[in-house]
Amino acid sequence: MQKSDKRLNAKDLINIGLFTAIYFVIMFAVACLGYIPIFMPALAALCPLVGGIPFMLLLTKVRKFGAMLIMIVILGIFYLVLGTSPWTLPLGIVTGLIAELIVRAGNYQSAKRAVIAYGVWCIAIFGNFVPTFFMRDAYYERMVSGGYGLEYADAYMSYLPDWIAPILIVACFVFGCLGALLGRAALKKHFIRAGIV
Amino acid sequence: MRMELLRGGYAEQTLRLDPRIKMLMVVTVSVILTAGGYGGLMTYIRPALAVLPLLLLLLSKRWAASLLYILCFGLAYFGEYFLLSRTYGVVNFILLASFSLFTRFMPGLMMGYFLVSTTTVSEFMAAMRRMHVTEKIAIPLSVMFRFFPTVREEYSAIGDAMRMRGVVLAGGKPLKMLEYRFVPMMICSLKIGEELSTAALTRGLGAPVKRTNICSIGFRAQDIVLLLLCLASLGVYIQWLFVH
Repeated sequence: MQKSDKRLNAKDLINIGLFTAIYFVIMFAVACLGYIPIFMPALAALCPLVGGIPFMLLLTKVRKFGAMLIMIVILGIFYLVLGTSPWTLPLGIVTGLIAELIVRAGNYQSAKRAVIAYGVWCIAIFGNFVPTFFMRDAYYERMVSGGYGLEYADAYMSYLPDWIAPILIVACFVFGCLGALLGRAALKKHFIRAGIV
Repeated sequence: MRMELLRGGYAEQTLRLDPRIKMLMVVTVSVILTAGGYGGLMTYIRPALAVLPLLLLLLSKRWAASLLYILCFGLAYFGEYFLLSRTYGVVNFILLASFSLFTRFMPGLMMGYFLVSTTTVSEFMAAMRRMHVTEKIAIPLSVMFRFFPTVREEYSAIGDAMRMRGVVLAGGKPLKMLEYRFVPMMICSLKIGEELSTAALTRGLGAPVKRTNICSIGFRAQDIVLLLLCLASLGVYIQWLFVH
């Protein structure tokens, strides 16, 4: 492989844009469920699971350093702008970089490494829960004064006690891996057979 | 939409604004309405910022979008005002969830729609260059902004195709539903991606030279007014954050 092939070109960047858009639309649709408090913890499992298909397809399309990192950075910026949580961006840069290194060690060919990498990458979703666990009092007060009402804020907090935080991180990783496997199954069944990948 | 993606020059607009100001307005409206609350000056700033996208949409003659915004936001706002204090338990949560989804996210989304519908990719890229954003972020972002409307279009087209074949909600199997909806969607977007990259290549994107751009962007009087408005609102928001 020549050196210029290893860097992202315009086509790769366009593909990254397309799949980030799809990923974001899916995330937004799933995350709307989270407005009902009891579904909030379930988001840590649902988001990674559903996002596996577009992610794995992008990963087979762009086998170069940077695709995953750019994707999570853009998603992080979007979360920041949407005002859900500013912590996805810094967390995403860390997990995105680790994920990149994991796939790079396998020279972008190993399927196992891709599955693990998506799991690690998904831990960034935990960034949306950071204010709930680490700034609980301030977040609670902001919810109450932000127009959500006491009853809603109480229910929200009771579904997300402190001990659930490590479980959510593990869930992000495990369901990320499952989502990646689902994505790989879809790839095998549809895209490879149709000669697209 | 694909034609729009390839269109250069300026978008149809009656009110010329700098793309950077439009982006700042998206950030301001979205952050303050989703993450902010009430109390103090915020009580006045929030409604003002919710009205801002409507004014801009009306000024640029986006009648359908304006009407949709008035209806959805108005209904949700009044629902929040009158119904929430009279309901309890699960009903209250569901109402709260659906109403606040509209009153919180819709102004930001509408502002985003204003940004997308009145800015061409050329202008967007010119603004990104002025802000010294690397191409690795600018290109995916510009593709995304144009692609969001297409996602909806393609998705409903896929839904129609499924219904024609008698596949409604995939027979209630959620995993199958994922497959039936996502796989065609992915294939569509891969195709669009290929067409786009060919088009972009002919326009010199990815060439090892510095691209030129005919769009002249810059701040005018109306930009300065909106800039001050955004800065003032953000200032109040930050002050509110410290109080709470």
